[in-house]
Amino acid sequence: MKASSIKVGRYSKRSPIIDVAAFLLVMAGLTWITGTGTSKLGYNWQWYRVPQYLFTYEGGRWLAGPLIDGLMVTFEITGASLILAFSFGMISALCRLSDSYLARMIARGYLELIRNTPLLVQLFFIYFVMAPIFDLSRFASAVLALSLFEGAYASEIFRAGIVSIHKGQWEAAHSLGLSTFDTYRRIILPQAIRRILPPLTSQAISLVKDSALVSTIAVYDLTMRGREIISETFLAFEIWFTIAAIYLVVTVSLSIVVSRMERRFGESG
Amino acid sequence: MDKEVSGEEIIVVGNVFKTFPGGVCALSDFSIKVRRKEVLVVIGPSGSGKSTFLRCLNGLEEVDKGSITIDGIPLDDDKQNRLEIRKEVGMVFQSFNLFPHLTVLENLNLAQILVRKKSRKEAMEFSMALLNKVGIPEKANIFPNHLSGGQQQRVAIARALAMMPKVMLFDEATSALDPEMTGEVLAVMKQLAREGMTMVVVTHEMGFAREVSERMVFMESGRVIEEGPTEQFFTNPKEERTRLFLSQVL
Repeated sequence: MKASSIKVGRYSKRSPIIDVAAFLLVMAGLTWITGTGTSKLGYNWQWYRVPQYLFTYEGGRWLAGPLIDGLMVTFEITGASLILAFSFGMISALCRLSDSYLARMIARGYLELIRNTPLLVQLFFIYFVMAPIFDLSRFASAVLALSLFEGAYASEIFRAGIVSIHKGQWEAAHSLGLSTFDTYRRIILPQAIRRILPPLTSQAISLVKDSALVSTIAVYDLTMRGREIISETFLAFEIWFTIAAIYLVVTVSLSIVVSRMERRFGESG
Repeated sequence: MDKEVSGEEIIVVGNVFKTFPGGVCALSDFSIKVRRKEVLVVIGPSGSGKSTFLRCLNGLEEVDKGSITIDGIPLDDDKQNRLEIRKEVGMVFQSFNLFPHLTVLENLNLAQILVRKKSRKEAMEFSMALLNKVGIPEKANIFPNHLSGGQQQRVAIARALAMMPKVMLFDEATSALDPEMTGEVLAVMKQLAREGMTMVVVTHEMGFAREVSERMVFMESGRVIEEGPTEQFFTNPKEERTRLFLSQVL
């Protein structure tokens, strides 16, 4: 309580003008570097050709361009993978913490296998080897690969969150006769979730970015659409920068939403 | 004390051995019996196994050897038996261990609803009655972090009582509190004792022990060094070791 109020006091004394000035200075520097870099490249910038790939205006209506179509696919893949990844993560975290040797070993094997091989290889393995066997679509292969991969990392986050809850909480629940299931559901997880929200956000952001890899198996996500446009128009820099900006907007929005959520959670407790 | 302690034994601990990983011997051939409505106070130097003894009684620690029976139910490998014992044995911890993400009232309601399968309304009524009993009904909708230590411990006692346990265990319930707050918690414990709750209390509060308990146990190195009726234990201890310990703490 005391430490945090001192910290707030110290920060609030600093004038925001200094922060704004520092930010502007950094941005000016970056712009200058980019500017000199590209002028030496002798690249012919054609930004005016980009907007049509975002939106077109036809017959009095706005139509989504290929990049926005791609973004929607990226959202679908990320959303589905996020839900699955957190499920895989939660299940394997609980397995790792369970009393069963078999469950612990299976979870451990999954974790080590996934974390110690590249995502691209996993994606190819699932798409070229597993998909024909189980008749998976490209989309399903992409979602499965991403969620298995991110799930392994989410698992460690969940585990750390659960372990960080004081053992007195377990003991109190135990002495009240609560089952392990109820203890997790009503006591441990609600407290753990608050603590792991920041690292889980980073993981969700990684997922958004990693989803770009699915373009390698020809899933028409944002990146794939971009590559397609580039191969037709040779607007390499413009399109890649636009794609990067779109990813940035998505991930920053995600961070803002989660920090709002954190603040709300923080009020009770 | 004006209550009747019946002859029936509710806790029977027979020849229990408990060694922690690393070779620390916490309980060594430990046996004791507690009768219904009796208040037993356990004292001893730190590391003597007092807390371990309490924690074995509700299955928080597994014993290596020996038997524990609570109200006729053996604390064995049978899951149903263990659950039954956990329901019937309430515990109050030194560090309160309230659930910080739940309000005081929700702390009390939780096990009533999940374990005793009461309706929300029934649970709520009983919880409020218990909060009245421990003297803080006005804190019902507050989160535990906003309470003083003494208030938190009283809530913790009420939470344990919400399960209507047959036995209450107190593991140094006042050790984390300043003297003023210690008084308010001890008052609640005294009231419980008067009402005939079977209690096993680990404490350093000798005044409380002398006033409330029927029987005293002095432990060291995981063994019972001396046990006896409270008055005799304090005025005329048999063992030299007990005498020495009492002279240091009184």
